[in-house]
Amino acid sequence: MAFARRNLRTLALLLVAGATAFALLDPASAAKVVEVTVLGVYSTARMFAAYLLALLFSVAYGAAAASNKRAGAILLPVLDVLQSVPILGFFPAALLFFVNSFPRNPIGLEIAIVFLIFTSMAWNMAFGVYEALSTMPQDLEDASKVFGVRDWLRFRRLMFPAMVPKLVYNSMLSWTVGWFYLVASEAIQAGTELGTMTTLVRPGLGSWIFSAGARGDGAAIAIGIGVLGAVVLALDTFVWRPLSVWSERFRLDVTAGGEVPRVPGPYERLRWLPRFPRMRRTLRVWIAPVARRWERVVAPLDRYYTAHPHVVRNVRRIDLAMFLVIFVIVIGAGLLGIASMFTRPLPTGVSAIPNAILHSLARLALAYALCAAWTIPVAAWIVRSPRASRYATPALEVVASIPATALFPAIIAFSVLAVSAWSLQAELAALLIALFAMQWYLLFNLIAGMRNLPADLDEAARAFGLRGWTYWKRVLLPAVVPSLLTGSITAWGAGWNALIVAEYISYGGTTYEVLGIGDLIASATYSASPQPELLYLSILALILVVLAMNKLLWRPLIRRASKRFRYELV
Amino acid sequence: MTNQHPILEVKDVSKAYFEEGKAFQVLERVRFDVKDRDFVCLVGPSGCGKSTLLRIIVGLDKPTEGEVSFEGKPVSAANPKVAMVFQSFALFPWLTVQQNAELGMEAHRVPPDARWQTAKKYIDAVGLSGFENAFPRELSGGMRQRVGLARALCMEPVLLCMDEPFSSLDALTAQNLRDEILQLWSNPALPPRAVLMVTHGIEEAVYLADRVFVISARPGRVVANVEIDLPRPRNRKEPEFYGWVDEIYSMIV
Repeated sequence: MAFARRNLRTLALLLVAGATAFALLDPASAAKVVEVTVLGVYSTARMFAAYLLALLFSVAYGAAAASNKRAGAILLPVLDVLQSVPILGFFPAALLFFVNSFPRNPIGLEIAIVFLIFTSMAWNMAFGVYEALSTMPQDLEDASKVFGVRDWLRFRRLMFPAMVPKLVYNSMLSWTVGWFYLVASEAIQAGTELGTMTTLVRPGLGSWIFSAGARGDGAAIAIGIGVLGAVVLALDTFVWRPLSVWSERFRLDVTAGGEVPRVPGPYERLRWLPRFPRMRRTLRVWIAPVARRWERVVAPLDRYYTAHPHVVRNVRRIDLAMFLVIFVIVIGAGLLGIASMFTRPLPTGVSAIPNAILHSLARLALAYALCAAWTIPVAAWIVRSPRASRYATPALEVVASIPATALFPAIIAFSVLAVSAWSLQAELAALLIALFAMQWYLLFNLIAGMRNLPADLDEAARAFGLRGWTYWKRVLLPAVVPSLLTGSITAWGAGWNALIVAEYISYGGTTYEVLGIGDLIASATYSASPQPELLYLSILALILVVLAMNKLLWRPLIRRASKRFRYELV
Repeated sequence: MTNQHPILEVKDVSKAYFEEGKAFQVLERVRFDVKDRDFVCLVGPSGCGKSTLLRIIVGLDKPTEGEVSFEGKPVSAANPKVAMVFQSFALFPWLTVQQNAELGMEAHRVPPDARWQTAKKYIDAVGLSGFENAFPRELSGGMRQRVGLARALCMEPVLLCMDEPFSSLDALTAQNLRDEILQLWSNPALPPRAVLMVTHGIEEAVYLADRVFVISARPGRVVANVEIDLPRPRNRKEPEFYGWVDEIYSMIV
């Protein structure tokens, strides 16, 4: 521990010295770093706003779906559809809507960006809340009822703690995904031909990287990516690691017994951080009277509810009815809109949709095969070698923390260097972007799956002398099938999204275009004469394909795998 | 008041579950009562519906027919005067021993100071002093069930219901805990005024109870009411003890 602390101090000193030297030697770049850091604050604020919304939404939605069977029967399939929808496909439509709602005011664009990030964060969190609440042990529910734990206390003592682990885990996932969309949404207007859009760029890391890319300014790109990586890592170190350590306390498997699994992390090295005990005490003194007054207000209401339980039931019913009405209106309006599209003659580009989807599918399949080819052996190597685990995991996490959208300029530069033909350049860039968007989901799911391989199975395999290919075939591969499939669903979802931005790239004055559904969507939006109907039909087709793949391919596979490859024999 | 009414009356309670249009009769016209200073055990083979019966008695479930009344009033929902100890302990893993014990009082708006003192008293009584700030996962099985017991006693209940409280414990720990429960029970100044325990262990029932109600296999019915008049502490090796065990055993099989 002492050694680690000394190491850390040396590292901090080196960092400070390096930064000072850098500032003295190259003041212009240093000033740029400061400027970009301010942009990072803007971007983080957007992420935070979207995250707060997603948090509120997911707790309310998940709790509603879990606590009421009839509501759940509607809410869950809706969530499933929302989750499989390629969000970026919607963004152009949302962007036009919000920007037009607030003409000549940047707030419309800001709302559109926050909305996009929200839609990328919310669904998996809501599913997490639902899963946590619907797998709540019956005995805890019973104990709460027997001891009269109700309403707010029930939320505080039972429901919220039970959702903490899944909520924290999914929040981390959501932030990772959120950065991807933040960069994409701040940068989406750069290089578009929609004359009015270019004036509405919002300051942020994404727009910085993209405009630097458009100018071909390598140093600025590097600074932007560096600051983005630093922000992501800082949040990970100071917020998510401590939170995930803390969330272990809320794990439900008490009976499994033993120690709380400890996640050693930077958190432990940050004991010296001030905890502000006085501020906390003052805050408590401040809050106490408010809380007491609140309780005094609530107590009679509570007594009344206890005396008349049917009132609560009726209130809940009215609440649900209102939700249903709004829901029906929204869905109805959507259906009407779609129906009205079909009454008019179809736009000319429609016949290109099936062909475009096939091309995109082939592109994704190739990217997926490449991902699987490198992630499976690397995951096995990392899990089976302690040293690799110690050094490679953090390194990979750092690399993975940089959203694929931020790597656009680098990927395109690489493609231009690698091949000379223009169409091949675009093809390679699209493939690489899809690869970068997909691979981490696969890798980290595989690592988690292989780590979960029960030690006794592994030992039994070794004791019987299983080695080499037999070991892979009989132990490791079957063991990772479930996590490989889970990772695959997420990876494909990310892949479709990436294609929307990868198949049509405006960069440094050149437009890189390949045949595909993403290209169709982008060019329908950003071309000199936008075609909203073609845009909507393309999005619709894309949603149908994604849903069909999930329902007909991945879900059945997962169901079969969970029967065949589970560890528990009972 | 308690002289007119038994603490608990179970009047012809039946319970049926409906699954795919078929009815499964779990309990059929179960009838018994629990009086003041009564330690009652419900004994039956597994799947005879005795846990369902207990859930109905504490208000977690509703009977299809019949009625349960507590102190002369029909039971409709959970009642602070009835506390429960669970087979699986049902402790909140994110709360400390102290917070778990205070949970019921917190729900019934007991002020924090009084809560703290009552919890302390019963945590001491079950022999867990010094572990107030421990989390359940840091405790052994026996200690976890002590927390469950303390949490129930903190409600100062009239009736204490226990659903197979010793089934998840190893034999030695279970025996220690049984003796301690009898120790607490022998002090009339401490709550509860009556205990109702569900078990499938006949020996355990004979060791603990004043009265044993034997419940038949599905559908569950009370087939016998056995009064165990052996003086406490009871000795498992005595022929009289075994006489009772054998008698109840023959009723179940």
